[in-house]
Amino acid sequence: MKKKALALVLSVAMMATMLSACGGNSGTSSTDTSSTTESSSTETASSTDTAAPAEDELAEHVTIKWYLEGSNVSDDTEVMAAVNEYLGEKLNMTLEPIWGTWGDFDEGASLSLQSGDDVDIYFTCSWTTNEYSQYAKDGYYVRLDDPENNLLEKYAPDLLGLIPDVLVDGANVEGASGFGVYAVPGYKDIANQYCWDVNVTLLEKYGYTIDDVKNRSFDQFGELFETVKQGEGANFFPLLPESSVIERCVNRVAAIDDNGLLSYYFNPENPSEPLSKYGNVLQNKFATDEFRTFAEQMSKYYAAGYVDPECANSQTSQETRTAHQLEGSYLIGVQSYAYGYEAQASQERGIEVQFVPCEDPYIDTVSSRGAMMAISTASKNPERAMMFLNLLNTDPYLMTLLEYGVEGVHYTLNDDGCVVFTDKRADYTPWRNGMGNITILPPQEGEGVGYVERFKEYYGASHMLPTTGFTFDTDPVETEVAACKSIVEEYSTALYMGSAKDGMLDEMLERLDGAGMQKIVDEANRQLDEFFKSK
Amino acid sequence: MSETTVSLKRRKRRINAVSVPAEAVIHIIMILFCLFCIIPFVFVVIISFTSEESIRQIGYSFIPNEWSVEGYQYVMKMGAQLWRSYFNSFFITVVGTICSVLMCVLYSYALFRPDFKYRNFFMFISFFTMMFGGGLAPTYAVSKQLLGLHDNYAALIVPLLFSPFNIVIMRTFFQSSVPTELIESAAIDGSGEYNTLFKIVVPIAKPGIATIALFNALAYWNDWFTAMIYVRDAKEYIPLQYLLIKMQRDVQFLSQNSASLGAEAVKAAVNLPAQSLKMVLVVMIVVPITFAYPFFQRYIISGLTVGSIKG
Repeated sequence: MKKKALALVLSVAMMATMLSACGGNSGTSSTDTSSTTESSSTETASSTDTAAPAEDELAEHVTIKWYLEGSNVSDDTEVMAAVNEYLGEKLNMTLEPIWGTWGDFDEGASLSLQSGDDVDIYFTCSWTTNEYSQYAKDGYYVRLDDPENNLLEKYAPDLLGLIPDVLVDGANVEGASGFGVYAVPGYKDIANQYCWDVNVTLLEKYGYTIDDVKNRSFDQFGELFETVKQGEGANFFPLLPESSVIERCVNRVAAIDDNGLLSYYFNPENPSEPLSKYGNVLQNKFATDEFRTFAEQMSKYYAAGYVDPECANSQTSQETRTAHQLEGSYLIGVQSYAYGYEAQASQERGIEVQFVPCEDPYIDTVSSRGAMMAISTASKNPERAMMFLNLLNTDPYLMTLLEYGVEGVHYTLNDDGCVVFTDKRADYTPWRNGMGNITILPPQEGEGVGYVERFKEYYGASHMLPTTGFTFDTDPVETEVAACKSIVEEYSTALYMGSAKDGMLDEMLERLDGAGMQKIVDEANRQLDEFFKSK
Repeated sequence: MSETTVSLKRRKRRINAVSVPAEAVIHIIMILFCLFCIIPFVFVVIISFTSEESIRQIGYSFIPNEWSVEGYQYVMKMGAQLWRSYFNSFFITVVGTICSVLMCVLYSYALFRPDFKYRNFFMFISFFTMMFGGGLAPTYAVSKQLLGLHDNYAALIVPLLFSPFNIVIMRTFFQSSVPTELIESAAIDGSGEYNTLFKIVVPIAKPGIATIALFNALAYWNDWFTAMIYVRDAKEYIPLQYLLIKMQRDVQFLSQNSASLGAEAVKAAVNLPAQSLKMVLVVMIVVPITFAYPFFQRYIISGLTVGSIKG
């Protein structure tokens, strides 16, 4: 009896320590926020008229930790030495980047955010685990234009002016502290444009020209495929599809959610209008006539041997595609376009590559939140983090140093002022689009002089989908989405690549019906209606 | 009648021999089983010596079109990071195994001793963690912020130090192979607690200790998850397994998100290592740990026979 009582007491004590450990964590973070608001309110008094940070704000030397995505960095000592010397002078701070990679960012950043690590700035966007709108809603990011502590106004008054309006629109979300901006959007290739990726070298070998592709629709490509397949042999596959992207090339649809369940059809002539047939109504992606026609056409091409069977295996699909592209062993592929990629692709593949766009470039919610930088609510120095982000996006020296490395070590400038990389670049290759405003960088050799102007012009002319800014909140239909998603995963590769057997589409639609697909479509449309009303 | 002749014949051959057809069947089953285990590894070795060109043309194959050592050359050129990771894996495995075995023996010995008053309570504590975990984010927060377990060797060793499962095994082993009378007589002869444990109990329990040592060594050698979450800034602490899994995850992430990343994904994928390189790393990871097996196995087998003789 005594023993039992003791065990009980001890286990209660253990529980208590466990709980206090959790509580202690939230306690510190709450004191953090209160101290920041205090310090910032004193700052408002001192720096109302000057945009540049006042002296006393920089009195204390701080370290800012910065979590990046997609890096390939093995040695940053020289770069960081130069960066910190510069930042030490300008902002009295030391920068500590965390070079997250494609493989570890998702896990690392979300854990770090959830446990309130001392990381100040996080990369965020619409396609990583720390998804922008969700994490802003859950209170992980500092609202930058908070009326009570407007960091943007105080430390970066011009920053949003440099960025296209559409990016600012995309950054405005309903977050934990109201509707506002929770991250600084990066100015990179912001529009979607899906293209036929044509191997012109091969096309001309068989007496066709690029116009033969331009003037044909998808179902008329068969003739080209047949001729080239005959000439190149049985192991050559002229059509190189990529799942979901090829559907966007054939039917002008925009993705609404990253689960791949819904479609929004827009007018191919003018992406800022909906397709009149459907209007501003979201569709079950697989239930439309357009999708059926597309899937049937793909099946025909697949059966005729125009598609590599390896592409229909979801495990090897992407690797096969990359390999075929690099070898130039395809006739027509699909590519989501990025400005300036045509030249690079031609050079990499050793063939002449031309992209035939399927529509004008357009911006949707996903692409408007393609790469952003958010300040964590756990940050002890959100002011300094904001100052750093401002400097990063406006100061060409700092941006170039962080993106390209040290001049004379990682790159040299040629006579035109273009960047030529040295071998040392292999040790220091951050993801260029993952930092911020790339328009203040000097052009690379392959891009040529005037790249930035052309870049801005191209993206400046892009259309905005009517749905830009709309995020489908899947919480009310969570179970249905999970069920439908797993069904779709089972069938989608086969449908997109054309390896589906007869009746597979109907079978899938039937199962989706059973799993509550209609409920998802209705809920999404209800939310979309609300979005248009509030607009 | 016929049965007796068969049994007589068998008796003539050897006392406990099985019939020839039965033996043949058992042998075939065992050979097949061995092949199932060995062939995948042989395949991996072959792929690691296959040229990239050949993989592209005919895929993985036992008879590649062209052999090459380019994967191994690339690995050698990776230089510092690779050897550092190799060292890390060895270091973590050796230190981790020693520490965790020591901890496990001490803990389970105390639980085994019937005269230890709070054994049920401590048993409960270790059992409790087996059923209920703290969850990933809280564990991470405690380890990292409270205990400072990040970007150092301790971060890679401490989280795996204590295994309730091994403690259960070890305690059971003590119970079945160490008679309490032995400990009592040692005490009567004037042996102190530590002396009894290390001079008398541990030598008897060697087979059991070897078993958990093998478990722990494997756990440390194969662990990449701890490295993924706790090593972030200081890449010099990355063990070999994580180096491999990182490449794998990079490729996977890019292919999953290719639709939202577009041309970016293709650009990034170009820099990623090739198929044969992955297999080279697998070979480099598997080979050292296979040498650990025969070493531990000696004790494990002797443990089995010791038990059977005593009956």
